Amino acid sequence: MALRLLTRNLRNRISPNLCSASLLHSHATSFGFKEVREEEKSQMVGKVFSNVASNYDLMNDFMSAGLHRLWKDRLVSKLTPFPGMKHLDVAGGTGDVAFRILESINSIRRRALQDPINDDLQEETRIYVCDINQNMLNVGKNRALERGLGEDKSLVWVQGDAEALSFEDNSMDGYTIAFGIRNVTHIEKVLTEAYRVLKRGGRFLCLELSHVEIPVFKELYDLYSFSVIPRLGEVVAGDRESYQYLVESIRRFPPQEKFASMIADAGFQKVEYENLVGGVVAIHSGLKI
Amino acid sequence: MYRTVVNRILLSGGSRRLPRYPDIRTIISSSRFSTTAQPQTVLNPSGSSTSSSSSTSFRTSSAAGDVPRHERNNPRAEYEGEQARVLQASLRHVIRLGWSEEAMIAGAKEVGISPSIVGSFPRKEAALVEFFMDDCLQRLIDRIDSGEELQNLTPSQCIYKLVRIRLEMQAPYISKWPQALSIQAHPLNVSTSFKQRAMLIDEIWHAAGDETSDLDWYVKRTVLGGIYSTTEIYMLTDSSPEFRDTWLFLDNRVKDAFDLKKMIQEAKYLAEAVGAGMGSSLQGFVGRVLQR
Repeated sequence: MALRLLTRNLRNRISPNLCSASLLHSHATSFGFKEVREEEKSQMVGKVFSNVASNYDLMNDFMSAGLHRLWKDRLVSKLTPFPGMKHLDVAGGTGDVAFRILESINSIRRRALQDPINDDLQEETRIYVCDINQNMLNVGKNRALERGLGEDKSLVWVQGDAEALSFEDNSMDGYTIAFGIRNVTHIEKVLTEAYRVLKRGGRFLCLELSHVEIPVFKELYDLYSFSVIPRLGEVVAGDRESYQYLVESIRRFPPQEKFASMIADAGFQKVEYENLVGGVVAIHSGLKI
Repeated sequence: MYRTVVNRILLSGGSRRLPRYPDIRTIISSSRFSTTAQPQTVLNPSGSSTSSSSSTSFRTSSAAGDVPRHERNNPRAEYEGEQARVLQASLRHVIRLGWSEEAMIAGAKEVGISPSIVGSFPRKEAALVEFFMDDCLQRLIDRIDSGEELQNLTPSQCIYKLVRIRLEMQAPYISKWPQALSIQAHPLNVSTSFKQRAMLIDEIWHAAGDETSDLDWYVKRTVLGGIYSTTEIYMLTDSSPEFRDTWLFLDNRVKDAFDLKKMIQEAKYLAEAVGAGMGSSLQGFVGRVLQR
């Protein structure tokens, strides 16, 4: 896992001409390797996720050989949750990240049982799970019930659009988006919204499939992505198209450095990214001051 | 270490500051005190020495010349300033909560910043301890620069006084200091804490008027490092009023060390003599074996 730091704090230095995200400014946007109209993209993405919702977690396990659990663990450990935190997990439909954060806070609380202040704070913890797709949220709510968190008022399930959040300015301590940002139509809007809802000192964390540059590994990964995954989708979930979209959308997403500069453009400081599995997955983080 | 020598040459008379951002104590990142700082200080005759950016973080400027005024208006360095403020506030909670994330969370709340910022410190508790060490070193340097009382002392008295001043800064935190030491000894943090201590020892020797530039330089640093560490550890279990026993211990160690110089000389003669004796008997032995 290589840790690379990129801190850009002067907007002047980033030339807009170099920004390949300008492709996304136009009225056409990308849906995998297809060019589609912007209005259509969100509908098409909606369809994809309505189709995959019920098998989402199963397919994740298959495709990543169970590694996605470790990646999400790493994301939450980077976040360092604390009791009383207000956290927003966007595109977190089935609740993986939210459950991990809640469990992390509860375990801290158990350790700090001696401190009475923390008990009151524990009551104030709120993890908002926001997803544009109601099917995904429903799956998440069922999973919460299974885990015994159905009555826990810390978890709040909200349907909403990442580009136009219904939360107030400066209200969140943390913002995570795991495997969601490549599906949005306008990445910059999502980043701007993230910046808006975060408090001073709040952190933005993004876990996303990213670009591999290591020579031989890159070829193997491409082979795996384009041959194995759609086939797996066909066999396990009965939906080849959606998984073809998945692997194409990974390729169209900006590479690590580019995405980091987009995060810095939104106003975040101390923008860094960490590659996991040689770049298959990257965790980008930013700080709002 | 060369940085401090260069400092003294360039800034005779002016007040000396450690290379750091605006007027605010910042977190030490070990790379900030890398030797690449040298070329810049030599070329910059006007003001305080500067630090070059570390190789891993991409900063658009490394401040030169008028560091305070230039950077304070600049939002670029803001997050480091905020981090420093949080750490400063966290120190007040250390006595109650230890050198831990809880103290840092309490500090962040005090300053009015979301405690999520604690997640942005790469090595959390270590950042707090390193900040404190840096802070103490800066205060020591301020005392050295302002204090005339060091002028008329012999080297051994000077060293005694400086080590005592420095350890007294730790006195309020003494109940939690073992935790800080264990954090500093952690493999991830060892290199930074070693560098900080090396700088501290270097500063003390310079204040005591050390001018050596041969092998003795290392011997002196090592000896003083030993004195400082043993006194620090002695202080952990000292319950006498105002640490009187510790200062007595320190005094004895310093005296021993200064006698040590002569002892080392005698030890050298002894080693030579033994070596000569060993050498001839070894030669004889080898000769006899080969003859067979």
